[in-house]
Amino acid sequence: MSEQNIVAPASDRQEKFEPKIVAFVCNWCTYLGADLAGTTRLEYPPNVRIVRLPCTGRIDFNLIIKAFEIGADSVLVSGCHPGDCHYTSGNYHARRRWILFRELLQAAGFEMERIHFTWISAAEGHKWQEVVTEITEKTRQMGPYTSLYQVTDAPAQPLPVQGGELPAVRLPDWGGEGEEGLRETCRRLLAEDKVKVVIGYGKRGPVFITRPEDVERLAWNDQCLANLTVYLKRKEIRALGRPAIVVKGCDERALAVLERESQLDRKDLHVVGMACPGMGEPKCETCDVHVPRFADEVIGEADKSAAATAERWKALESLMALPAPQRMSYWATEFERCVKCYACRQVCPMCYCERCLVDKNRPTEIDPSATSKGNFAWHILRAFHLAGRCVGCDECTRACPVGIDLRLLNLSLAKAAEEHFAYRAGMDPKAEPLIGAYSLQDKENFIR
Amino acid sequence: VSATISQSALRELVGGWIAQGKRVVGPRLVVSGVGAVREPPLDRGNESRIFYAPLESSEQLALEGFIHPANSMKEFLFPKHEELYGYRITGKGIELSEVEPLRAEQVLIAARPCDAAALPILDQVFNWDYKDELYNTKRQLTSIVTLACAAHDEACFCTSVGLAPDAERGSDAMLFDLGGSEYEVRCLTEKGKALFDGKLEASERVAGLLPGPEKRFDAEQVRAFVKDNFDSPFWPAQTLACLGCGACAYTCPTCHCFDIVDEGNIERGVRARNWDSCQFSMFTLHASGHNPRPNQPARQRQRIDHKFRIYPEKFGEILCTGCGNCTRHCPEGIGVLSVLTAL
Repeated sequence: MSEQNIVAPASDRQEKFEPKIVAFVCNWCTYLGADLAGTTRLEYPPNVRIVRLPCTGRIDFNLIIKAFEIGADSVLVSGCHPGDCHYTSGNYHARRRWILFRELLQAAGFEMERIHFTWISAAEGHKWQEVVTEITEKTRQMGPYTSLYQVTDAPAQPLPVQGGELPAVRLPDWGGEGEEGLRETCRRLLAEDKVKVVIGYGKRGPVFITRPEDVERLAWNDQCLANLTVYLKRKEIRALGRPAIVVKGCDERALAVLERESQLDRKDLHVVGMACPGMGEPKCETCDVHVPRFADEVIGEADKSAAATAERWKALESLMALPAPQRMSYWATEFERCVKCYACRQVCPMCYCERCLVDKNRPTEIDPSATSKGNFAWHILRAFHLAGRCVGCDECTRACPVGIDLRLLNLSLAKAAEEHFAYRAGMDPKAEPLIGAYSLQDKENFIR
Repeated sequence: VSATISQSALRELVGGWIAQGKRVVGPRLVVSGVGAVREPPLDRGNESRIFYAPLESSEQLALEGFIHPANSMKEFLFPKHEELYGYRITGKGIELSEVEPLRAEQVLIAARPCDAAALPILDQVFNWDYKDELYNTKRQLTSIVTLACAAHDEACFCTSVGLAPDAERGSDAMLFDLGGSEYEVRCLTEKGKALFDGKLEASERVAGLLPGPEKRFDAEQVRAFVKDNFDSPFWPAQTLACLGCGACAYTCPTCHCFDIVDEGNIERGVRARNWDSCQFSMFTLHASGHNPRPNQPARQRQRIDHKFRIYPEKFGEILCTGCGNCTRHCPEGIGVLSVLTAL
């Protein structure tokens, strides 16, 4: 399959449009089903290019995007019926991932009518024929996929709701209460040698306190925005010895996820929780964890009664209210500013891979260039690797030097996790990680 | 006696340049949304969304109400991604195709003096050995109109690196806000004169002295320190909070490192250069797996070392203009300034 086969010059495509369809199929069912269609002499349109993979569970979500990038007009992903997987559960894992991935693609503005999922068994040559015929016809009617990564010439409009424009939830006036208590606690922890270092907030940025007499450098005010749990993975910090870490209720959710993912052991650290009335960030307006729940000790007081509210999704909903090409246009415009400094990755407590996929260059999976292709691929990758893991601390958005509202992508996955699986990352430390688990009851109304 | 221009005449002039087909780049409020969003009024809440960006109309030019745009001006001469040439693998071998440098006249308007001063510094590195055609072509076609700074914030430190709010270096013309929507114009080069030719009025009003930020450190002391303290415990102690992103380097007007990549498929593609940063672990990673700068303290030291010792020893000037963008954009509040003031 060469690029020339797939991409015809734009002018040709206008004149006599033949849809290009890329099908990612599993080796054991759909591939054999397609084979059966051939051997039983069933006719179906020649527009489909088949890419065979061991199992739908093995299909990297990036492949779907890549297919569009090299000119596919529609993509089909197909595998064994539930219960039939050659590897027992690969298709169940795939199904759960698709449920989430579809929501991300929708938020990013992909045309979902061009992405199809089916189960086709080795005995269903007829179904393969039907599916391919139907997708080809549907794609022919839709025409070539031209809006990919494009800025539309739609009339200019800002998003109706941007971050931080929700009706303000009244928070108690901020007085920096707890600063003295925090210092006292940390002085005691260091003096009693319970911990070797305190990872806390200083006047400007994080500080790492190793001597009891230095605790005066610790601060607690409305500028304590950073999620300090990101430092727990860093070698330079680990080398300092057993840490005490200062967390807000929102940051603490990261600890729950990291522990569930075996990245840390709570026995090896001391958690100093700060009751937080809110820092004035968009996330604070709908926060329902003002008081840390699992910390070794909690300093200060804040409203514990705040309840989860649907207002959380407002900014996302205002994006989702736009038609798909305009959503894509929104991201294309935003990503134009992305310089690939990877601040979003570096500040994320959940991005703990020794070597990020985007830094792997043999072969290159994600274009390192800050072009629209490279930027979409990177941001979709980043968001999806956080599916069911992102705790919504919004550090990526805060760190972005060019002000891209990355939060919206994370929100799309958080909302999907909550709606489809009643799951919120880091809320229940016992809950099984969302990706990595599956249920026979996972909804599949989008799979044919 | 001075030469002045009113704000409306300036905007008219800018509109004229745009109409002539010049690419005019200036500070502009960029708002998230679909299509070209009309800018709401600038206020404290959206100040961080001012970027140097190409202007589609002179109304978009933001002249006051902010300290420094979120990016620097270097990207209009040295873009974050630039194609060098194309290649195509045929049955017989490899065919190369040239990428023509963009030959459009460009005006950088209302540049900050710290951004303008970065250009002569960058000229040296793009010309000391290999003459970089892509950079030079754009540079020759670019005129820089600087707006002297009337305000500064706690991240600004131009006075510590030998510059000032009204430093002329790198500018073709300079604007001084006289208040009452009037600007004094000082044309410094032929290019600058050509831009404002016949548009200026004689006036009695002359710009006063502009207060600069307090001097925060002595660059010569910094040079001496980094020279003698390669293995000092100062580096790990000062840079523990650094998470290793490239926000400082990519918003810096003088950082100029790049990486060369091939992008394409088995048949054809492009060779391109992309910005790179010494703060990434990949920057010095050898093919063997060895990394001579194994941790963030070593990488932060490199950044300071390059700016305050290596570059001055090689080219005779500091690779820093004190714009403060590294400090403003560091998610953990580090930046050149916090390291140097700690020295």
